Amino acid sequence: MIMLTELQKVYQGESGPVKALDNVSLEIEQGEIFGIIGKSGAGKSTLIRCINLLERPTAGRVLVDGQDMITLSEGELREARKRMGMIFQHFNLLSARTVLENVAFPLELAGVSRSEREKKVEPLLELVGLTDKRDVYPAQLSGGQKQRVGIARALASEPKVLLCDEATSALDPQTTESILALLKDINNKLGLTIVLITHEMHVIKAICDKVAVIEGGQLVEIGKVFDVFTNPQSATAQDFIKAVVNNKVPDTLAKLLSEVPIVGGNLVMRLSFFGEATNEPFIAGLIRRFAVDVNIISGNIDHLQDIPYGTLLIELSGKDEDIQNALRYMQDLDLRTEVIGYVARHAHVAG
Amino acid sequence: MSQDMLMLLVEGLGETFYMVTVSSLVSALFGIPLGVVLVVTGKGHIKENLVFNQTLGAIVNAARSTPFIILMVAIIPFTRIIVGTSIGTNAAIVPLSIAAIPFLARVVESAIKEVDAGLIEAAQSMGASTGQIILKVLIPESMPSIVLGFTLTVISLIGYSAMAGAIGGGGLGDLAIRYGYQRFRADVMLATVVILIAMVQIVQSSGDYFAHRLNKR
Ligand SMILES: Nc1ncnc2c1ncn2[C@@H]1O[C@H](COP(=O)(O)OP(=O)(O)OP(=O)(O)O)[C@@H](O)[C@H]1O
Ligand SMILES: [Mg+2]
Repeated sequence: MIMLTELQKVYQGESGPVKALDNVSLEIEQGEIFGIIGKSGAGKSTLIRCINLLERPTAGRVLVDGQDMITLSEGELREARKRMGMIFQHFNLLSARTVLENVAFPLELAGVSRSEREKKVEPLLELVGLTDKRDVYPAQLSGGQKQRVGIARALASEPKVLLCDEATSALDPQTTESILALLKDINNKLGLTIVLITHEMHVIKAICDKVAVIEGGQLVEIGKVFDVFTNPQSATAQDFIKAVVNNKVPDTLAKLLSEVPIVGGNLVMRLSFFGEATNEPFIAGLIRRFAVDVNIISGNIDHLQDIPYGTLLIELSGKDEDIQNALRYMQDLDLRTEVIGYVARHAHVAG
Repeated sequence: MSQDMLMLLVEGLGETFYMVTVSSLVSALFGIPLGVVLVVTGKGHIKENLVFNQTLGAIVNAARSTPFIILMVAIIPFTRIIVGTSIGTNAAIVPLSIAAIPFLARVVESAIKEVDAGLIEAAQSMGASTGQIILKVLIPESMPSIVLGFTLTVISLIGYSAMAGAIGGGGLGDLAIRYGYQRFRADVMLATVVILIAMVQIVQSSGDYFAHRLNKR
C-alpha cells in the first residue's frame, strides 16, 4: 500500500543542515496497522509527513497505492491527499465549527452538497460515539472526544490510509486505551491501512501488527511486533521494550552477580516463552527431572496480538552438574533462555 | 440651543456617519484581503514570497507612518481624480479610506497569524487548496479578532473624520471648528464632543458583542 524507498530529508536549520531522515526504506501492506516508534527528534513526524507530502523529501521515492506521490502536480497531490486521512497529537479541530461541521469539512472541501454531507457524517459520528455532540463546538469537548472528532473527520472522505501522528500522546492512559480500541475497530471494520507513530511502546504493543524503530533519522529495526518484542535486535528497541516489560534483575541481586560460573553457585537466568510453550508446565518438569530448586525472582505473562508471551527471571540451585543439565533441557524446549550470571549460594536470599 | 443649531448638529452627524460608514466599508474591502496577503506570502506560509511580502510591508508601513493631516493634503490630486473634487464629504472619504486600509491590514495580519499552524496543516492533509485554506480556515478561525480589529479601525475613522472637517470635509468636526472654535459657541463644542463620544461607545460595544458571539473557543 505504501512504499518508501531510500527516503532522505535534510532541513536547513539555523546551525547548518539537519538530517532528519537518512535513507529510510520500508513497505506497509494493505490493511496493516504499522507502528513507527522512536525517541523525540528521531524523525517520526518527518517520516509520516513525507507519506502525504506535507513534507517534501530531499531524495527518495514515496509510493502510495501504486501512485508516485513526488511526481504529482499540485492538483493531483490534493486529490491524492483526499484518499489519506490524518489525525494529530493536538487534534487540530476548527474552533469556529461544530463537531458535525468539523467532520463534514473534508467533504465540503471536495464540493459535496450540504445534505449529502450530513448523510455521510451521521454514521461516522455513530462510529466514534459522538452522535449526541454533533452541534457542540470543540471547546466543550474533552481531549478524548476531540480525538474522536479528529478520527471521524479523517474518515469522512473514505480514505484508504489513516496516518496518525502521536494521536494518543496528549491523552490520559484510559482515554488512550479507548482511542486505540477505536482505531483497531476501524481497521477491522473498514480494512483501513493505519500508520501510527508514537514514542510509547505500549501503543505499539496494543494494536500494531508491524513496527519500525527509528533513531537519528535511520531505520534501525523493522519486523512483526511479536518478533521485535520477543527478540529485539537493536539497543533502541531493547530500551523501548524495557519500558513495558519489566524483566530487570533487581539491584540487590545484580550486585552479587558474576559472569563466570562460581563453583557450587546458583545460576540466574531469564526465560522468555510465547505461544504454545506458555501452556507447558516446564517448571514442574524441571524440578521433577533434575535435582534442582527453582526460585522465581520476577516474572510476567502477557498477550501480544493474542499470543501469550512472558518472561521469568529464575534462580536455579543444586549440584553444578544438575544445573547444567537443567539448562540444556530448557535450551532444547521452545524457550528463549538467557543466562544472566551466577551467584554464590546463600549469598543472596531472594524474596 | 436654537432650532437652527440643532439642525446643523443633525446634519453634521449625518455627514460624519456617511464618511465613517463608507470609508469603513472601503477599508474592509481592501484592508482584509491585504492583511491576508501579508500573512500568506510571509516566511514559511502557504504562498511564501518574501520579496513581494517585504515590498508590500514597506508600502503599508509608509502609509501608516504618515500623519493623517499630512496624508490628507498630500493626496489631494489623487482625491480629485477619484471623486472630481477635493472638498466635501465625498472628498474626505478618499484619504480616510487610504489611512484606514493599511491600519486594518496590519490588524488583520496579526489576527490571522494567531491561527494555529496545525489547522493549516490539517486542512492541507485533507487536500484543501490555498483559497479554501484562506476562506474556510484562516478567516473563520480569526473572525473574532478581525471583528475587534475592524472595530478599532472604525473608531480611528471617527477621530480622523473629525480632522477631515478641518479641510472642509463637513461633519461634526467641521461644525466644532466653525462654531465651537471660531465663534466661541461652547454649547456646540460640547454637543459635538458628546455625540462623538457616544458614537465611539456604541461602535465599541457592538464590536465587543459581535466578537464575543463569534468566539467559540
Ligand atoms: N522545519 C524544520 N526545520 C529544521 N529542522 C527541523 C524541522 N522539523 C524538524 N526538524 C528537525 O528534524 C529532526 C526530526 O524531527 P521530527 O519532528 O521528525 O522528530 P520526531 O521524531 O517527530 O520528534 P517528537 O517526538 O519530538 O515529535 C529533529 O532534529 C528536528 O529538530
Ligand atoms: Mg513529532
